[in-house]
Amino acid sequence: MAKSLMIVDDSATMRKIVMRTVRMSGLDFERTEEAGNGAEAIEKLKESPVDIVLCDVNMPEMNGIDMVKKVRAEVPGCADTKIIMVSTESSQDLIDSILREGANGYITKPFTPERFQEKLSPFMN
Amino acid sequence: MIQDVCFTDTLLEAAKEVFETMIFMDLQPCGEVDQPIEGEALMATITFSNSLEGCLAICAGKDCAEAIAVNMLGLESAGELSNEEVTDAIGEVANMVMGSVKSRLTDVYEDIQVSIPSVVQGREMASSLGDSSRRASVKINIEDEHVMEVSLLYREAHK
Repeated sequence: MAKSLMIVDDSATMRKIVMRTVRMSGLDFERTEEAGNGAEAIEKLKESPVDIVLCDVNMPEMNGIDMVKKVRAEVPGCADTKIIMVSTESSQDLIDSILREGANGYITKPFTPERFQEKLSPFMN
Repeated sequence: MIQDVCFTDTLLEAAKEVFETMIFMDLQPCGEVDQPIEGEALMATITFSNSLEGCLAICAGKDCAEAIAVNMLGLESAGELSNEEVTDAIGEVANMVMGSVKSRLTDVYEDIQVSIPSVVQGREMASSLGDSSRRASVKINIEDEHVMEVSLLYREAHK
């Protein structure tokens, strides 16, 4: 079944790099969306849910952790959406707390196409 | 504790990891650390705090910054780039190098908090953090064509 993807990052350049790396990983998405922060992502998700969200942690306006909490609490259409955090933050405590808030995975920057393949492919079927 | 870490090696290893994994460019250390980058340049800075505090700075000439952005975005030439994309790309390089530095320091400084990067453009730029800070710096040769400086101003926070 065709999947949809949203990339959330305040850097337009990083959104492009993430998209390129997803393509290089061989994963195929029918629809892709972008958002520049957590608040914008939530508005878009309320209108049109996606299957997988790749989300930065440190962002202005609404960071990735707050976004995960809000999606899980306020966007019922995204109950099955898998949220994978993508960040330079690598502390295990932070990763554990983000996973407790409802994220489904974590990818640290710098990343490789193989890493995306490993983390996303379990959610592609 | 601060003497136990070779920050110059840490900077170089972190930069190599980022450039080899995300930017697909070869880099090697080169000398002349005290000389500023000549001509118009971009400097990306990112601050960090808690048990170790300070600022990581990446300074690259405009041509160098454009070459990095071209590779990061998978473009054919710098003509396809906007100024915003170049600025954004250098900021992300600083962000990723800082993340890589942080992951290498977690055994000694486990609570480092990192800010969002900012980028300025100018000539003969230098970063400073007052008299009590130390400085580690490496000049890096990228693809035998460009030179970039990565520096770390740091001090252990007073408890």
